[in-house]
Amino acid sequence: MSEWEPKIVGFLCNWCSYAGADLAGTSRLEYPPNIRIIRLPCSGRVNPLFILKCLSNGADGVLISGCHIGDCHYSEGNFYARRRFAVLKKLLEYLGIDPRRFQMSWVSASEGDKWARLVTELVEEIKQAGPNKDFVRKND
Amino acid sequence: MIDQIKTKAKELLKTKKVDIVIGYKKASDRIGAIPAFIDKEGDIDKLIWDGYCVYNLSNYLKDFPGKKIGIVTKGCDAKSMTVLLQENQLKREDIFIIGIECSGIVDEKRKGGDIAYDERCKGCKPATPPIYDVLIKEEEKKQAPRLEQDPYESVRKLETKSIEEKFKFWQDEFSRCIRCYACRQICPLCYCPRCVAEQTQPAWFSKAVSVEGNFSWNVNRAMHLAGRCIDCGECERACPVGIPLRDINKKIEKDVKELFSYEAGVDTEQKPLFSSFDKNDPEDFIK
Ligand code: SF4
Ligand code: SF4
Ligand code: SF4
Ligand code: FES
Repeated sequence: MSEWEPKIVGFLCNWCSYAGADLAGTSRLEYPPNIRIIRLPCSGRVNPLFILKCLSNGADGVLISGCHIGDCHYSEGNFYARRRFAVLKKLLEYLGIDPRRFQMSWVSASEGDKWARLVTELVEEIKQAGPNKDFVRKND
Repeated sequence: MIDQIKTKAKELLKTKKVDIVIGYKKASDRIGAIPAFIDKEGDIDKLIWDGYCVYNLSNYLKDFPGKKIGIVTKGCDAKSMTVLLQENQLKREDIFIIGIECSGIVDEKRKGGDIAYDERCKGCKPATPPIYDVLIKEEEKKQAPRLEQDPYESVRKLETKSIEEKFKFWQDEFSRCIRCYACRQICPLCYCPRCVAEQTQPAWFSKAVSVEGNFSWNVNRAMHLAGRCIDCGECERACPVGIPLRDINKKIEKDVKELFSYEAGVDTEQKPLFSSFDKNDPEDFIK
């Protein structure tokens, strides 16, 4: 088990969370390298299909991160995202997907430290959840 | 009751108030009922009304663009029309709703046997359509036992299972899915000209019968109906392999009610769930 390292996909909005992650980097904060970041204009851009695609292609975890409520560059994008993913989160759990595998956070451009801490915790949680073997592609 | 439906249909066609009346007629097995599309007065006598009129006819409204339509409508069917109106898929003035004060439909699996009300009728609140132009009342009240039962009983039962049990349960169910998309075709609210299931660029999930494809399709369908599904139960009835789709729809219905006090299909002025928000929507799941 010690060799296995989780793969996590992060969907980050350009204006806050991506900048926050960037700040963590330029401040030379250390955090585990398990997250692959996909930059999007806004957390409201994330479609539930993105999450399904990641999980069903073997990602061990997926994170959506956007601006804090009230700070969205497009004013309302994160309000819509919050509703949409509250529903998806509960549905996935109901269908038997470990809730640790799909998470959401608000990280601002100045919260490099929060980003580093968040990813560290996330990696730890997903390590506990173990590798995602739910959707090993059989016939395609 | 059927006489009142026929009289209204005749009047609507005669006065050219509508071009077509959508109702029910006997299926070829002489027991079941299938949709009837009546555009001649002479065909009006084909119309029937009984407990086998299960189809949600609002599914066919989109098939007659530019036409005025009279439509026989149960309580649940009117709710999906409400959603179609909310989403600007219909013009209210183009449809004449012949509302039926429905007393429940029959469990199709028991065709010809004892009268047993369908699961979906138990706990159906507006048996009377929330919108109508004329309301036709059922003479005798032989109502299905409504409201006494917790409509979320089976959802709650599943919720208490462990995560592994849930996964196994749903994988067993989804493993039978043959991706026929009958659940989509029968649904009045799955009206996309091109469904993501057919999209190839990008292909969001496998089109083949596969673990991930079947899972993704079913989650996708459910999410696209979130806050929209009015529990007419047609998807579950149409599914040829008996996947309990209502247990998924009802789960979302329940969550949406608890999280956002939102209920689908009750008010034409209401904004769709995911095109609206409240500043105080819960976010305890967000870090
Ligand atoms: S998802 Fe099923 S129950 Fe809901 S509206 Fe569509 S056909 Fe009816
Ligand atoms: S599943 Fe989604 S994309 Fe497909 S028809 Fe239904 S609502 Fe449209
Ligand atoms: S009707 Fe049933 S078998 Fe067909 S695609 Fe839908 S869930 Fe799968
Ligand atoms: S721009 Fe950051 S959440 Fe909308």
